Amino acid sequence: RTTTTTRSAPAPPLTPSTFYLALMGCPCCRRRHRCRSRTVARALAPTPTPTAWRRRMMPRRKRATPPRTRLRRGTPSGTCRSSGTRTRSTSVTTSQRGRSRSGTGRAESTASSAAKITMMTGTRLKIWDDYNAEEVKITKEEAKIISRMMKGKTPHANVDPYPDYVDWFEYADKGHPLSNAPEPKRRFVPSKWEQKKVVKLVRAIRKGWIKFDKPKDEPNYYLLWGDDTDTADNKRQGLSYIPAPKPNLPGHEESYNPSVEYIPTQEEIDNYQLMYEEDRPKFIPRRFESLRSVPAYEKALREGFDRCLDLYLCPRTRKKRINIDPESLKPKLPSKKDLRPYPRTCYLEFKGHGGPVTSLSVEATGQWIASGSSDGTIRVWEVETGRCLKVFNVGADVHHISWNPSPERPILAAIVGRDLLLLNAEVGDEETQVRTKELLHVGEPTPEDDGDKKPAVRWVNNDKFDGITLIHHRAASTVEWHSKGDYFTTVVPTGESRAVLLHQLSKKHSHHPFRKLPGLPVAAVFHPTQKMFFVATKKFVQVYDLQKAEVVKKLESGLREISSISIHPGGDNVIVGSKDGKLCWFDTDLSTRPYKMLKNHSKDITSVTFHRRYPLFASSSEDCTAHVFHGMVYADLNQNPLIVPLEILRGHLSSDRRGVLDCKFHPRQPWLFTAGADSMIRLYCD
Amino acid sequence: AAAAMDADASRQVRVRFVTKLPPPLRAPPTAIAVPAELSRMGLSEIVNSLLLSAEPDHQAQPFDFIVDGELVRMPLHQFLLAKGISAERVLELEYIKAVAPRKQEPPLPHDDWVSAVDGSNPSFILTGCYDGLARIWKDAAECTQVLEGHSGAITSASFINKGVETDGSLHVVTGSKDRSLRLFKFDTSVTIGSSKRIGAYKILPGHTSSIQSIAVDPSRNMICSASWDTTIKLWAVEGSEEDSDTVSVKKRRMNSDASGPEESQLEGSASSTLLGHTQCVSSVAWPEQRTIYSASWDHSVRQWDAQTGRETWNMFCGKALNCLDCGGEGSSLIAAGGSDPVLRVWDPRKPGTTAPIFQFSSHSSWISACKWHPSSWFHLISSSFDGKVMLWDLRTAWPLASVDSHKDKVLCADWWKGDSVISGGADSKLCISSGVEIA
Repeated sequence: RTTTTTRSAPAPPLTPSTFYLALMGCPCCRRRHRCRSRTVARALAPTPTPTAWRRRMMPRRKRATPPRTRLRRGTPSGTCRSSGTRTRSTSVTTSQRGRSRSGTGRAESTASSAAKITMMTGTRLKIWDDYNAEEVKITKEEAKIISRMMKGKTPHANVDPYPDYVDWFEYADKGHPLSNAPEPKRRFVPSKWEQKKVVKLVRAIRKGWIKFDKPKDEPNYYLLWGDDTDTADNKRQGLSYIPAPKPNLPGHEESYNPSVEYIPTQEEIDNYQLMYEEDRPKFIPRRFESLRSVPAYEKALREGFDRCLDLYLCPRTRKKRINIDPESLKPKLPSKKDLRPYPRTCYLEFKGHGGPVTSLSVEATGQWIASGSSDGTIRVWEVETGRCLKVFNVGADVHHISWNPSPERPILAAIVGRDLLLLNAEVGDEETQVRTKELLHVGEPTPEDDGDKKPAVRWVNNDKFDGITLIHHRAASTVEWHSKGDYFTTVVPTGESRAVLLHQLSKKHSHHPFRKLPGLPVAAVFHPTQKMFFVATKKFVQVYDLQKAEVVKKLESGLREISSISIHPGGDNVIVGSKDGKLCWFDTDLSTRPYKMLKNHSKDITSVTFHRRYPLFASSSEDCTAHVFHGMVYADLNQNPLIVPLEILRGHLSSDRRGVLDCKFHPRQPWLFTAGADSMIRLYCD
Repeated sequence: AAAAMDADASRQVRVRFVTKLPPPLRAPPTAIAVPAELSRMGLSEIVNSLLLSAEPDHQAQPFDFIVDGELVRMPLHQFLLAKGISAERVLELEYIKAVAPRKQEPPLPHDDWVSAVDGSNPSFILTGCYDGLARIWKDAAECTQVLEGHSGAITSASFINKGVETDGSLHVVTGSKDRSLRLFKFDTSVTIGSSKRIGAYKILPGHTSSIQSIAVDPSRNMICSASWDTTIKLWAVEGSEEDSDTVSVKKRRMNSDASGPEESQLEGSASSTLLGHTQCVSSVAWPEQRTIYSASWDHSVRQWDAQTGRETWNMFCGKALNCLDCGGEGSSLIAAGGSDPVLRVWDPRKPGTTAPIFQFSSHSSWISACKWHPSSWFHLISSSFDGKVMLWDLRTAWPLASVDSHKDKVLCADWWKGDSVISGGADSKLCISSGVEIA
């Protein structure tokens, strides 16, 4: 550090003393500061008088200039920034303070050297430097500087310590840069980022994202009394907004000065007190001179408290409630109108039996029906008019009756008492009659070789009716024909290994191929088209293949006790009625478990039956009703059968706690015959 | 009360009574104001009083009133409202004699259900019965002839000569559940007091199941029969006897070893068979020489060409049909009833629709028979298993009259002499309601 310059004064020449000072450092901080020369000078200078101190300090105060400027002017720029933050006055003060303490040796040494200089003033000066142990010659100019410094003046004579203040800077409305640095290059080069920004804006304008025509200010009105449950605000974030209840619009009586007619009389007010709390009017109109005299709302505090209490007690958890219309859970069923025709109304009654009609059967063409009754008669009726054509007085209870499905063989098979009776129904032309008569004649009774056991069945001519009696070893319960009309089967429930018997009419032959059955057999039917055979026991339905003589399927009904069975004309679907009033639909291709279980009757189901042509099935029950269903089986195997309940047919009367005992469809019309315990047969038509 | 009177007075309709009846029953054609709530009876009274004022010895009788081809069957203001007729102008009320049986003749007793009746002959009534006998009743009083021979119930019977008496005898054909038709001939000049038993002179076997209905063609040479075996067979009454007789008689002789009265019987065979129905053909009608209509349990009505045996038209109605008759305008409308309580009338001339043009549904059970009036275009009767015979007019949906004289199912019904309704039923009676005046 060799020279220090100020703006206001020309740089002092390099002299040994300044050099020394530069080498020695500042006596106060021992650093190579520019301040050091002044500090030294000031240290050398005599203590300024208070007036001089004031003179030096006060004028600055008088100027109303910002302190920063003052500071800037005092401390030359560019050097000693770190210490320059200190004000000069402070440094002076510290030096003075240090001197006034007069504690340090260095201060004394400088004082003594100053005294030496004073002594040599006016002559060619020589100074002994103790430190370097040499004599230093001081030139005239140096001596002048020293003497000026010692007088407390500036070292140079032509320095004006108090020049007039020139305000170089105009602050107001200039906005000039504070730094004098030259304009950087980037100020003149077009900005890349600005360009990018501009491109963005241009794009937004072109796309119409930025609009310059201001949207019209929508008036910020809203319907104060409107329903605000479904405004967009309230649906935000999936919150369900529960609006506060709307108060009623204020009426005239709520005015502060209502008409006189609104004001209740004192008597009325007294009456209010007699009323129940909930009947009492909530608001009693009052009159006030002016709005100013209206008192504060007296319930404000109470209501505020209640409101807070409400909010506090309000449950914060929201219950998720599933809102399902029970109607929508119902299966979509076709309308009953589209499923017509089906039996609906009873138009014909077949009267004549003297006891419960236990069973009925319709002839293949649908011209006749036969019925068996507990009064010991079998009757043949004409369907068209309801006329009883023939009565066979068989003399014992008729349990079951079945008409031969072949139109050429008008033969009735009936379980009379405990045996089977084959009858000529005597309808049909002469040729048929002749053939039937031949058929119903047993030639030589062949002695059956069945060990010492009683034969299961004996074929015996019945002379009374020109028919055949099949004497069973135990009481038979049901008889069913094969669709060709030659084979038929009887079920002997207690017959053990000979419980289900197959008979051939043309050969007058019987056998019992089914040795083992899972329980007591109830009914047995032939498959309508294939060589299959269904045996219903109390809980199961066994499906046999007659050719292979083996069990094909075993259907598990899950019912308590099966009472009847019917096979769909397609052969793949079976319905089973039970004694607990349930009806099971089996799709044998689908499963061995029921496809549908219908609990439709309150009492035992006595009979179930399929229609041969229409997609209908019916069940009759002891509760005096017969139910008709639509049961559509589709050719497409992927489509499940459609079951639609259609109609409940009533009309039969209960007799001896028995209701409808049998039901059969007309083979060609959508009509249903029902046999009742009230000794009536009814025909329900579409 | 005065206000009510005023209201009544304001609700008056100006009417003019017109008629096509002969002069003693013709009311003065001046317009008069009548209360609007008058119904048919009140209007009838007014007409009667008008007639009485014109002629002092007038007998009061009920009338029916027609406005725009529709019978008035409700109070007049309701009728006007329903038909949209203005009550301002003068209403022309045409009156006719009310069509209703005025007298019940004593019923003719039978031994069994009366299942067939024919009243096409004005002096005889032919009935068929479930005991297999057909009976001829002269003047609705006494059974003069019993036609025997059938072994099953007679389901239908018809006069062939229809009153044209050739050589003093009438021909009758009966169809039965024993699968045969029999032709009878009886002498019309037989004295009253003896019921003579007559056997058939010709048997027409061939059906394999019960015969349900027979019809005779307008020229009276052919018979058609409908049967449960789904066929309709046509038979010649007279012709082709020569070639078929001898053979069949021989055959019969061989078959039946001892049959005294049947020696004289001839047998005929069907001249043609109409195939097409799939179920029991329950009824046939032969209104014109060439066309035969048939109704069946397979829910269809079919029209056949009698000469070619072809089916020319058919229509399905969704119900098993029991009865059918042709009549009405140009005898081209078909009335049929069946396994529901509705009597329907179709117009086969209307193309492309099978909707009935009239439906009469006052019965409560199956309809067993329906017959058009032999001369009127508008009137028909129907009998039902609910024991009622009802008289219908096409111009109103309500029955004109209902005959309740049967105690059980009514199985057959017919017009007789144009002014009587005869019906037989399951109570083994033939009821005759006479005095039906159809102008």
